[in-house]
Amino acid sequence: MEFKSQKVAYPYFALALLLFVLQVLMGLWLAINYFVTLPQGLVDVFPFATARAMHTNLLVLWILLGFMGGTYYILPDETKSELYSTKLAYLLFVIFAVTGVVALVGFLFGWTQGKPLLEIPVPLDIVVVIGVLLFLFNVGMTMITAKRWTAIQGSLLGGLVFLAVMYLFGIPFYRNLSIDWYYWWWVIHLWVEGAWELIAAAIFAWVLIKITGVDRAVVEKWLYVEIGLFLFTGIAGTGHHYYWIGAPRYWLWVGGIFSALEPLPILLMVIDTMRHVKDRKLEIRRPMVWTYAVGGAFFHLLGAGLWGFAHTLPQINYYTHGSQVTVSHGHLAFFGAYAMLNLMVFYFAMPNLVGREDHSDCRGKFGFWTMVSSMFCLGLCFGIAGILQAYLERVLGFGYMAAQEQMRLWFMIAFFCGLGFLVGLLVTVYDLFFPKPIQEVQAKKVVAQAVA
Amino acid sequence: MKKPSLNVGQKNQKEVKALVLSKKTAVGIFFVGTLSSLILFLILTVDTHRQVNVLTKAQNLSEEAVQGKRVWQKYNCNDCHTILGFGGYYAPDMTKVYTRIGKEGIRQRVKNPEKVLAKSWRKMPQQNVQDKEIENLIVFLKWVSEIDTHDWPPQDSNKLPSSSIRRMIATVGISPGGALFKEKGCFGCHKIGGIGSGAGPALDGVGTKYDAETLARYIKEPAAVNPKSSMPSLSEVSKDDAEQIARFLAGIK
Repeated sequence: MEFKSQKVAYPYFALALLLFVLQVLMGLWLAINYFVTLPQGLVDVFPFATARAMHTNLLVLWILLGFMGGTYYILPDETKSELYSTKLAYLLFVIFAVTGVVALVGFLFGWTQGKPLLEIPVPLDIVVVIGVLLFLFNVGMTMITAKRWTAIQGSLLGGLVFLAVMYLFGIPFYRNLSIDWYYWWWVIHLWVEGAWELIAAAIFAWVLIKITGVDRAVVEKWLYVEIGLFLFTGIAGTGHHYYWIGAPRYWLWVGGIFSALEPLPILLMVIDTMRHVKDRKLEIRRPMVWTYAVGGAFFHLLGAGLWGFAHTLPQINYYTHGSQVTVSHGHLAFFGAYAMLNLMVFYFAMPNLVGREDHSDCRGKFGFWTMVSSMFCLGLCFGIAGILQAYLERVLGFGYMAAQEQMRLWFMIAFFCGLGFLVGLLVTVYDLFFPKPIQEVQAKKVVAQAVA
Repeated sequence: MKKPSLNVGQKNQKEVKALVLSKKTAVGIFFVGTLSSLILFLILTVDTHRQVNVLTKAQNLSEEAVQGKRVWQKYNCNDCHTILGFGGYYAPDMTKVYTRIGKEGIRQRVKNPEKVLAKSWRKMPQQNVQDKEIENLIVFLKWVSEIDTHDWPPQDSNKLPSSSIRRMIATVGISPGGALFKEKGCFGCHKIGGIGSGAGPALDGVGTKYDAETLARYIKEPAAVNPKSSMPSLSEVSKDDAEQIARFLAGIK
């Protein structure tokens, strides 16, 4: 770690990991809701809706904390200068943490805007907006004073500004439900298939340069193509959410065509990653960063690219829209595209931040494979449940609960996949905070050899 | 890997580089890709705004309906239920709930979920929603059910016999109105659930348009209710029979 101000990232990463664990715990509770009959008294005070609001908001909060921490960690290295203000960065951490806690506790008491994923009420929205503006100010001033512009900085700053602007569309009360959903997707879709992809691509490119030693010029050139394709397919691809909301029929064409192309930039990213890995000029010193970089690229393609493609055509979406198929896609995509990217950054930064650069990867590998396989099975469970739902409810015309009865078994299996995921996550979190020194491993080997 | 001689290698590399991609082209792809998609999206957004009032029948979006939307948000209904297919997936979709279970069905479920869903293995919370709020919510859901969703969701599409029609078919044997409907030859002009002739309008969902009393008058004297109607006035149908048929039709929602 060359720059002192990179340390700011630590509390962001630490809180993000804690919230990730909470998110998974809340997810397990949601799974229980799906297959167990809970007493009415419990449902009255802690309904599914509240738990879901917490589950999804924890996701958004920890991913964004990861992005912010990641930005603070990358920026000094990328601009070759300290952050504009570390004090502001710490202050903002406190603001975001407090806002998050207030929002989560507020949900328990029914303090909500009542819009899925954007439940936090308007007063807290205003705090978030001010916080994000100050964050952008800090990031922008660091870049401006350093005056060492790169494509990575551009993509990062562009993505962050884009993210902040889109958030505004979720704040007002819309009288017309169709318009409400129209702009709700400006936040959700243009985040995950626009702004977040820009941030992720920038962070990913930076890590690739760092670990492979491949020429910046080559990486940045492909970064332009990737984000160009992400935005080309992603912006008009928003149309795949407008098929059935009371919008004109041409969205079926626009959404269908553009979103069918959405896997392309992700595929390019995978090919690109593999090529850089092949052409690497540095030896592999941080195996977990590599594992998450390559694993993340593939899981991104699987969860966001293929799973999204599978039900994006209007002819299919007519039957799968609003079913558990969406849940399957949501889990695989968020994990593959953003959770794994953040974990890659954590594995890059945390050993430096806790002062143990060389560390054993055995726990990390265990965590990685446990999480990846559990999440894959979880996606399959939701996917099977979703196909059952689409066929029974939408094709055969079963009543909602009659179809749910047939899906019940798969929710139970999903719960156990979630438990597996939790185990992998806990090992990973422990490993990130307390990396195992490599000497210990070697010492054990020496002892083992001596004994033999 | 085989190493080609230096000269050839350099030449190849240059050619390959020229073929593959220059930074200028890469930046070009970025701007052309982003801007073309953005412009298309913004143009279609403007056009969607122009069309949405017709597609969502915004003229029926009364103040009560808007208040009902606020109720929908206040109690966070959307994190269990979906509406237009978005939201939690834990409970039934609300897009066509008004046509599916009607006013009273909604009222009872919101007011007394613990009683209505006593036997269900998935529960709905008792949130002590006020009567006035429930009435507004019903107006809102009625408005939602009329949005042109391109025939989504499939389970409530007229291409599938709707649940109320399936119920009607199950009870038609014991319904005097249903028997009279057939006996008096109404199927000769009207379809229900795809059965009958298409000369007159199909009567699927007719119960959401008219109540039993209006329907009885309609049968006796169509022009009195709907001046544009081309239906003949059926003087041979007695007042009692018309009322029976009307009650039967009012149940088709």
